[in-house]
Amino acid sequence: MGFLDNSGDIILDAVLTDTGRFRLAKGDGSFKIAKFALGDDEINYGSYNTGSTSGSAYYDLDILQTPILEAFTNNTSMMKTKLISIPRTDLLYLPILKINTQGNQNGQTAEVQQVSTSASFFVAVDTTTAFSFQNVNGVIDGTATGHSNSYIRVDQGLDTTDISYAFAIDQQLKETQYRLELDSRLGQIATVGNAASSLNPAFIDDDQVAMYFVSLGTDDTYVKNNTNTSDAANVAGQIIKGPRGTYMQFTMQASTELQTSNFLFTKLGSTFNMLKNDGTLVSSVKYIDTFVRVSGVTTGYSLDIPVRFIKQ
Amino acid sequence: MATTYKSLLNEDSVSNKTLLHESIPLTGTIVSGTYADNNIKNYSHGIFQSVYDYPYLSSSANHVFDITCGYSSNSSLSKSAGGASGYFSETDQKKKINVYNELAQVLVGYDATGSIQEFDEDGDITAGGTKIQEAYFLNFARLLTKDEIKKGTFTLQFQTGGANNAVAGILSIADTNAQNSYKVNSPAGEYGILKVSAKAGTADTTHTVGDAIGLLYYQAGIAVITASAFTNFGPRDTTVAAWNSLIASQFLSGNALSGNCDALRNRFYNVTYNNTTELNSTIYFCRANHNEFNYSTNPTYLSSSQIVVKENPQDNPISYITTVGLYSSDNELLAVAKLSEPIKKDPTTELNFRVRLDY
Repeated sequence: MGFLDNSGDIILDAVLTDTGRFRLAKGDGSFKIAKFALGDDEINYGSYNTGSTSGSAYYDLDILQTPILEAFTNNTSMMKTKLISIPRTDLLYLPILKINTQGNQNGQTAEVQQVSTSASFFVAVDTTTAFSFQNVNGVIDGTATGHSNSYIRVDQGLDTTDISYAFAIDQQLKETQYRLELDSRLGQIATVGNAASSLNPAFIDDDQVAMYFVSLGTDDTYVKNNTNTSDAANVAGQIIKGPRGTYMQFTMQASTELQTSNFLFTKLGSTFNMLKNDGTLVSSVKYIDTFVRVSGVTTGYSLDIPVRFIKQ
Repeated sequence: MATTYKSLLNEDSVSNKTLLHESIPLTGTIVSGTYADNNIKNYSHGIFQSVYDYPYLSSSANHVFDITCGYSSNSSLSKSAGGASGYFSETDQKKKINVYNELAQVLVGYDATGSIQEFDEDGDITAGGTKIQEAYFLNFARLLTKDEIKKGTFTLQFQTGGANNAVAGILSIADTNAQNSYKVNSPAGEYGILKVSAKAGTADTTHTVGDAIGLLYYQAGIAVITASAFTNFGPRDTTVAAWNSLIASQFLSGNALSGNCDALRNRFYNVTYNNTTELNSTIYFCRANHNEFNYSTNPTYLSSSQIVVKENPQDNPISYITTVGLYSSDNELLAVAKLSEPIKKDPTTELNFRVRLDY
């Protein structure tokens, strides 16, 4: 997409997304615009220069000159970062989502909660692969009978030491619902402790991306209050340095197609060499790289977790 | 509670309809001359001829209009009706009668007995009157006509004599005042009467300004021109052998259908009209109040969870808007609008974004 002409009046370039067109074509009334959100995808707030010697009017000069791309029609490519409404104006800190890489809590094994050397989580798609790479850092057993300790946990809260973790997070900043997105061709979100119990997606869009929603109170196996106010970050499985909100945990089950066929590995992936826990090198392990996007529905913050589906 | 979505209320959207018009000028040199007829597509069936704006084998070519012609089986040109002057061959006569009948049944319809009605010169079908039994048809492509031809804007000019660079006469046909007076008794929508609007030069001695010589179907984008309009037309360019042979007597008679189309096309001087696109729009007013959308979830907005555009809690939060997303109730992004430049939002400002979706 090109840049929009920003030499004159401010214009608004509006398009229907592919999903919008799909719903419109269905003609079943599912195309109904009910709400809006504002986004700032192109903005790099790091360009906000409070050190400008020309004065505060020049702090955002670079930001205001940011060229804006034309609208994409792919619904998953737009509105990655949204603006949020919080009545209070005196907030200096906002919560984030962070992958918990601290093991040994709540019964999970340390190795799964540690980001692997390739900075990815691995999902072994069949029992052979899962057996070969068991106890390797970051490997999740993606078979329906996968062991219960393999999961990913995302913590939410204020990741700062300026406010003590002993304080409860402001209720306005506490995330209560999470949205997860995963390519449905590759796998499904599943319940921790029971990989065979996969979550039903709310819908699957035209790009085969499945959307899942889990909420505090109704999806207790996924979303929990983080009530720990006694341990600092990197102690007792905590990763958030300041006040903590909720955490969300999940595992993944590989799709039947990945388990039983190499077609998608050939089409979307490649091969690499991977070390077993005992140091043995396994060559030509098939893989597909993707990611799971976790977004807070209330606070809007999102996190892309890199995931590599592997098959020996 | 922090929120990222704001519900649109009933008063936040409005629907309306807008008619958008574009001017379509088409010069005769495109129709015959500029591309040495490489932009003219003849088909093996020989029933019509397509005109493109560029050699049609190129992917850049756009279909502009089709030319065909035909006559009623009741016409004096029809051999079956006792005439013989229009007869070129059995096959050719069949094509011409079929073309006439096809367009007549679509544009004029049927009478009470189920018979196809003939084109009526003044549109008053029930009163009888003069019928257009021999006609040329110009079928304009939807690419240019869009939803319909704007009434009162259509002008078609034919060269009635002289060479290419020395035009001896021009006959102008228009739907003058059709915006105030048009017919609605066609099954294909509204139509107007095409009349001689101007005459220049001396080659054409038959017509006077105001003569009704055709019909223009606005929604169908089809001009029906009586073949008698071309009586006394001289050859356009006597220096070009191919054109020289296409003399007036060959309009609709004594030649195959494709030859008849060539005869007309090579006398084509100009056509202009305005098309119409009916835009049904819904306008969404996305209102950002002073206490809304002042924070961002952009990863660069925070450094160690601290807002980078604030140095202390008393500073106003600031965000910059580049995108407006319109969502379904289940949070699916249905439409998206991009601003041409970032707009600053803080608690001292309120913004209204007017997002128009056209269907």
